[in-house]
Amino acid sequence: MNTASGALAKAKAGASQPSENTTKRKRGIFQKELQHMMYGFGDDPNPLPETVALVEDIVVEYVTDFAHKAQEIGSKRGKLSVEDFLYLVRKDPPKLNRCKELLSMQEELKQARKAFDVDEEKLAASLD
Amino acid sequence: MKQFKDPFEAAFEEQEESPPESPSPADEFNPQPSAAPADTVPVQEEDDLIAPSTSALFPASAAAAAAKPKDEEDEEEEENMEVELAKLPSGGDPHKMVKMQAILSQFTEEQMNRYESFRRSGFQKATMKRLLTSVTGSQKISMPMTIVMSGIAKMFVGELIETARIVMAERNESGPIRPCHIREAYRRLKLEGKVPKRTVPRLFR
Repeated sequence: MNTASGALAKAKAGASQPSENTTKRKRGIFQKELQHMMYGFGDDPNPLPETVALVEDIVVEYVTDFAHKAQEIGSKRGKLSVEDFLYLVRKDPPKLNRCKELLSMQEELKQARKAFDVDEEKLAASLD
Repeated sequence: MKQFKDPFEAAFEEQEESPPESPSPADEFNPQPSAAPADTVPVQEEDDLIAPSTSALFPASAAAAAAKPKDEEDEEEEENMEVELAKLPSGGDPHKMVKMQAILSQFTEEQMNRYESFRRSGFQKATMKRLLTSVTGSQKISMPMTIVMSGIAKMFVGELIETARIVMAERNESGPIRPCHIREAYRRLKLEGKVPKRTVPRLFR
């Protein structure tokens, strides 16, 4: 299977708007992270390059199809939103729970950071 | 395989012994030796909580923790957020924490390495955002969307790899995972309906 040309064709077929930076997808955009991830999930400490390349192709296709589906749902309501993503995983409890977890963590961090910024200003002001 | 070059890695070892509380504003001001970019202060990241349904097949992912959803602040937050501070999962459940610590304390070195990779690995938010933007056209992709997509994608990779290992076990093979295993795993996941189907047929493969 010729994955190199397949990758390019995929990018062209997947992009809904042909612009300079979307007509070509560079090889191995997720390569480094994928190696660590695959090891974490059970692969060898040094996964085979061809395996990593294949997983990357699959993941890009997955994200592409997922995003397109979300867009289809989102278009009915206008803008694309997080809710559309959550809707797509509604039947997959582990993924749905994980998404909710990530979102609430983000919110928590955002609040914490806001409070911190305020404190830092007070500190700076008091030192003047 | 080399570990993450992670300024917080040293802190990770410390954290291991005594899991801290959720970051409070006072705690966050914690000067690290190799600091993040000058205008952002290193913030203690909460690492990921193990999902309540800890089925072996869908472990919690260690996607990088969040940034502010406002787009103008994305860039500076992103640089900061790439660095994770692995924390022991709390989830506000003391029983779970105790169980987790009991398990972790019995890990062999190899297991601990693998677990660390599992927790810390994740898709770069910038790359994912770029991919999502190119896929959806000119849609503005918010930070929550990127975070959610990265989390989902990571879990999907987990499903792939674990299914591939199952395939290998069935074939009595060992060693690194080969593409043929991944293809078989992918085929099985499709049958299970875990892979979104294209509504428009793919041309010019």
